[in-house]
Amino acid sequence: MGQLGFYFNMVECMGCKACQIACKDKNDLKVGELFRKVLNFECGVYPNVGGFYLSVSCNHCAEAKCVRGCPTGAMHYAEDGTVQHNKDLCIGCRYCVWNCPYSVPQYLEDKNIVGKCDACKDLRDAGENPACVDACPMRTLKFGDLDELKRQYGPDLVSEITVLPLAEVTKPSLLMKANIYALDPSYKLKLKEV
Amino acid sequence: MGNFINGVLNKKLSRREFLAASAAGAASLALSGCGGNNLAAVGPDVQAAAAEKKGKWVTAACWHNCGGRCLNKALVVDGVVVRQKTDDTHEDTPDYPQQRGCHRGRAQRFHVFGADRLKYPMKRKNWEPGGGKKELRGRDEWVRISWDEALDLVAAELKRIKEQYGNKAILGTSRLLNFYGGGLVRWGSSSSGAWGVVQECMTGFFSWKANDRLDWRNAKLIVLWGANPARSSLGNPTYNLLQAKKAGAKFIVVDPLITPTVRVLADKHIPCRPGTDTALLLAMAYHMIVNNLHDQEFLNRYTVGFDAEHMPEGADPKENFKDYVLGTYDGVPKTPEWASEICGTPPQLIREFATEIATTKPMIFTSSFAPARTYRGQQFCQAFLTVGWMTGNVGKPGAGVWTMNYAASQSYGGKTLVRGGGTGLPPVVNPLFPDATYGPYDGYRWANPTNPDAHGMAYCETYDAILKGEYTGTNGRGKIPCDIRLIWLVRDGYGYNFLNQSSDINKGIQAFRKVDFVVTNDIVLSTISKYADIVLPATTQWEKEGIILQGNPEAIFVAQKVCEPLYEAKTEEWMERELAKRLGLNPDEIYPVSPKQQFFNSIAGAQVISEDGNSYEPLVTITAQDIQEWGVQGEPQQGKIALQDLLEQGVYQVPRSPGDNLTVVQGEDFIRDPEANPLPTKSGKLEIHCQALSDKIAAYGLTTIPPIAKYEPPLDGYEATFEDWKTKKKGKYPFQLITIHYGRRSHSTYDNVPPLREAYPQEFMMNPRDAEALGLKEGDTVLIESEYGKCIRPLHLSETVMPGVVTLGEGAWVEIDEETGIDKAGATNILCGARLSGQGEEPWNTTIVRVEKYNGEPLLPDKYWKQRIIF
Repeated sequence: MGQLGFYFNMVECMGCKACQIACKDKNDLKVGELFRKVLNFECGVYPNVGGFYLSVSCNHCAEAKCVRGCPTGAMHYAEDGTVQHNKDLCIGCRYCVWNCPYSVPQYLEDKNIVGKCDACKDLRDAGENPACVDACPMRTLKFGDLDELKRQYGPDLVSEITVLPLAEVTKPSLLMKANIYALDPSYKLKLKEV
Repeated sequence: MGNFINGVLNKKLSRREFLAASAAGAASLALSGCGGNNLAAVGPDVQAAAAEKKGKWVTAACWHNCGGRCLNKALVVDGVVVRQKTDDTHEDTPDYPQQRGCHRGRAQRFHVFGADRLKYPMKRKNWEPGGGKKELRGRDEWVRISWDEALDLVAAELKRIKEQYGNKAILGTSRLLNFYGGGLVRWGSSSSGAWGVVQECMTGFFSWKANDRLDWRNAKLIVLWGANPARSSLGNPTYNLLQAKKAGAKFIVVDPLITPTVRVLADKHIPCRPGTDTALLLAMAYHMIVNNLHDQEFLNRYTVGFDAEHMPEGADPKENFKDYVLGTYDGVPKTPEWASEICGTPPQLIREFATEIATTKPMIFTSSFAPARTYRGQQFCQAFLTVGWMTGNVGKPGAGVWTMNYAASQSYGGKTLVRGGGTGLPPVVNPLFPDATYGPYDGYRWANPTNPDAHGMAYCETYDAILKGEYTGTNGRGKIPCDIRLIWLVRDGYGYNFLNQSSDINKGIQAFRKVDFVVTNDIVLSTISKYADIVLPATTQWEKEGIILQGNPEAIFVAQKVCEPLYEAKTEEWMERELAKRLGLNPDEIYPVSPKQQFFNSIAGAQVISEDGNSYEPLVTITAQDIQEWGVQGEPQQGKIALQDLLEQGVYQVPRSPGDNLTVVQGEDFIRDPEANPLPTKSGKLEIHCQALSDKIAAYGLTTIPPIAKYEPPLDGYEATFEDWKTKKKGKYPFQLITIHYGRRSHSTYDNVPPLREAYPQEFMMNPRDAEALGLKEGDTVLIESEYGKCIRPLHLSETVMPGVVTLGEGAWVEIDEETGIDKAGATNILCGARLSGQGEEPWNTTIVRVEKYNGEPLLPDKYWKQRIIF
């Protein structure tokens, strides 16, 4: 199997946050801890308003800065290429929080360690999908081999949009079907996160 | 508890974590439910695979009034729910989609096992029979009492009030009350606004039915009028509509807001001010008439009242729709320019839109209920149906003119493919309201206004009835005196939160503080319980025997008991049985069928559509052994799925595929031969001019409506925001408020659940330019005020909101600051007045407010608010 990662179709996302809540349930997260979250961007003036919802979790980057900068090896690559976090090795130094350009790892204050999306490794090891994938009522999320996802969902998928870091920085294992507001640089300055 | 939990505790959880999680301050005892009093938190490091091996997936009810009621399952390990999942019982395809739970259903375990669950029966510290210090309702202390004491007190007050004042002193109904002489009923219309009686009279409910889900893909154009299924119809509707879009349907959405539905589906968005849709529709009709774009043949053959030549018998020929639109008699042609000043839609867009709906076939022209939740909302419904019919898109594949139906809503229609059976519990008539057509409980939606034996008042007159001692009798009976002493809200499971959900909460609180006794049952301290005297802790559906739930016509969900009742919570059946004993009634007469038997009956009686696509057959195979194991009465039967398999699966969904024999084109027969298949309306046709509607609305005694669609500015509508209409100088309340369905909740359910409060902050939304003009910034705490009350909320700015319009989600639990009298939660019914209209529809979407910066203490974000934990 090649590099694994998420596919997200923003064109069909209705911003309901079922993915965010399903992830909280699966990982038993408290208020303030979000391993997957949904952002909302808009631009324009009523009634000509564009924008998109963006569901983000860990991008399991091929050149993850969190792994590179982790002093204990708590952040590491699993055999399947996903970025995993070993809670027992974590000392809560938060270098990964600092290093990740997507602000993915979160410091879990009451545990004094960080946490992040692990692409539901335990579920996948049991032959199931990540919780968010199976939760989405619009079926916008998938997880799997990136080449396979490209074959299935078309040649126009991107790994970066104007509001996210450049893909060349960490090589995120992320494929998105994006709309013009997320792709066209002329909208970038007009977009507001709402 | 079992070894598994011990193992997890020993290995993973530090003492500090355990204590922190178990303390009353914990947001959720989420991994809990050991039954009885031993709630304990388990750390989050539960390995999924290990849990699955030891645990059991139980179908867990999602029972709310949301329209979906989808499949959710809970993984129960040694009596503890460790996590949930949704439908994975078959491969997911657009034709045969999984019944996936929404974000709220996915938070259900945080709801059921919340630290704020009511644990014990309780009474107000300053209550005594007769009321005690009634002014302290809503702000008193709670005292824990035993079940015996609670039931004795409740029965004694009920008995005293019945004997002293009679059953008409009781407001409320339930199975128990109906056996005890009944009570006054609150009647009216909430969800469906003004649609109910319109549908009954103008169409005989013909236009309250839709074509089946797959047929929507045949449409070339789908108009969603005021509909936002992405937030108000969770489950598959938006996904289903997406399939129609992929099949080539163009979508036009009419809405004051640019909603998530607009973002995902719309090719075109039509802005329209709240409560002015009628004007927009009339202008569209005008454009069609002057350009001869309407389907005259259709109108001639299938409708009455369009023009003077086709009026129903006995009608004044001048009162025809066409001449009204043209302004023949009133001198006001309803042109796009005339409409635009009112509705805010640019005239050119009105013309384009009208041309598009007139010339694109087949078209589905569908409305939500929201535009009818307005003052004298009948006018919108009349106009919507009339304009739809002018296009002739009825009774053909991919075509239809209808309004969204509840759970089977916004993308479904056609036949019911599978359904649960009855529980076997016979319905009980309320002796004081025998005509109720919605179960034995409420005179909901269309109480028969001409029945003098129906005792009760419109929703919006409830509080005045309590405070002033009289209410409007229907059918010209004038004012009817009353002396309401008891508000009874002990009913199925989790209260009936009308103090929060009905208009004018401030007046409601006054009314609640006047009566002798308020008693509720509830799972948490929602609004009605907050203002009650005695509150009985209720079980959720997860703690009950089992139930069949349904949200759309293609699937049923068979939920089972997930855990034992928490703390001292009881089912309402148990409560009513115990109360019955104390009232000298026979509990077995009120509940002749046990909960287990009821569940069994609903399974045994479940039916599925047959191969022929027309008849029905039993769904479930039940053996003699099953019956014996269940310990119930029944007969073995042959069905399509074994009982045990159905319970494990938790769902039965009938597969569909294009070309199957389950397609339905609503109204085909009527269109093919209207004479042989007349509609159950006065004329047998679709009634553009409907005297029956006028007469029935008049009989309610609240407002009147002409027999054809006419625009008459509603109370608290757009026109009311002005001091001077001509100069457009704004008045005291310059903004129109719409009370949207909001993602955090299903109405008022889930408002207390932390992950949902985090995901949905209950923001008050304005257009940035409106805010700028008032000197307001994103994140400011703002004061929103109407004639009826004040709220404060965090301000959120977005260009998706039409200038002049503001929005706030309905359903937040009122939280009044006792010092300022201001609601902090953003309960929209603080702002909406209890105004009497039509068939008793609550006119929430015609509400006007003012907004200013709040200079008092800023609000803490909702996700940080302390939960209402009593003991």
